[in-house]
Amino acid sequence: MKRTLLVLVAILLGVALMIVAARHLQPGVNAKNGGIGALRGAPAPDFTLKTLDGKPFKLSELRGKAVLLNFWATWCAPCKIETPWIVDLQNQYGSQGLQVVAVSMDDESDTEDVKKFVQEMHMTYPVLRGTEEVGNQYGGVDYLPTVFFVGRDGNVTGRIQGIRGRSDLEDNVKKALATKATTETAQR
Amino acid sequence: MIRWALALLAAFALSVHAQEPSPGKTGGPSVSLVSALLPSIIRGEPGNVDLRFHIANGYHINSNQPSEEFMIPTALHMGATTDIVIGKINYPAGQDVSFEFAPDQKLNVYTGNFTVGVTVRPLHTVPPGKYAMRGSLKYQACDNRACYPPKQVPVEFEVRVVKAPAAQRKRPAQSPHAHS
Repeated sequence: MKRTLLVLVAILLGVALMIVAARHLQPGVNAKNGGIGALRGAPAPDFTLKTLDGKPFKLSELRGKAVLLNFWATWCAPCKIETPWIVDLQNQYGSQGLQVVAVSMDDESDTEDVKKFVQEMHMTYPVLRGTEEVGNQYGGVDYLPTVFFVGRDGNVTGRIQGIRGRSDLEDNVKKALATKATTETAQR
Repeated sequence: MIRWALALLAAFALSVHAQEPSPGKTGGPSVSLVSALLPSIIRGEPGNVDLRFHIANGYHINSNQPSEEFMIPTALHMGATTDIVIGKINYPAGQDVSFEFAPDQKLNVYTGNFTVGVTVRPLHTVPPGKYAMRGSLKYQACDNRACYPPKQVPVEFEVRVVKAPAAQRKRPAQSPHAHS
């Protein structure tokens, strides 16, 4: 009798352990948060997008600077919380070589909303009109906010998907700033 | 003793099953029409159709009256019909909820199930029978950390148009002296 009971308890414990392990290993939204995708260490995919004024903006022209590439949208509530942190980081680390670039994933018809948002949030850095194609270059921006960090050498140093704390953004900014520009980029 | 142990094991298995992440959590947010009662609506008169939607576990969508600027409201758009007039669409009030990313801020959202009422009025001339109504629900979903692009799901339901019961039919005005 006691032996049967012990066996059952052992089964219960085993099942519980398997469930806990499965939850931690499950690739879901939360597992991706803060993870660094397949782009880590690889050159940041280059793109040319238009600013809100319609001027072309090419990412690779920022080589030599650390870049915080922020995919966002006006309809994204966490983005609205995160934006002031990003504005602060630009103000705090801009002189050390940080350049924030915001890529709006709003529909083209929402340009006025985007302009209003940018003004209200005091986003003084370049704001670009995003495209699905550019999102796909970065592994598919399935949800927002998604932030990529690019080192001075043009390589991706980190990625944060979904909102996390300001300190997580700042830690990644510091990592990107700590990279060295390659000879090629330094000459630009 | 063994019975107790087996009962414990069964209860444990059930509780574990209940806590498993929903398919929606791993497959992205989804909103689906779970039921639309087939109402009988008298032609020429307005009637209400209740559409019950389900939001996948772990997600919320903005209500029809979001509390924050720039948020995309949940909205039902019905296609135009020649025989049945679409009237007012009634949305439920959302819940004011705070989320982990902004504990001090409340967003007006729907979670779980919600019901949208659609007023329809078949024209007097419509032959009795079943009629298909088509439209789409636009929503924008988020979870506790991120938001997903706006989506539109097709919405389709039927209404049964019936004749007015004989007693309710309007009779032509009669002269008070008709029976004298």
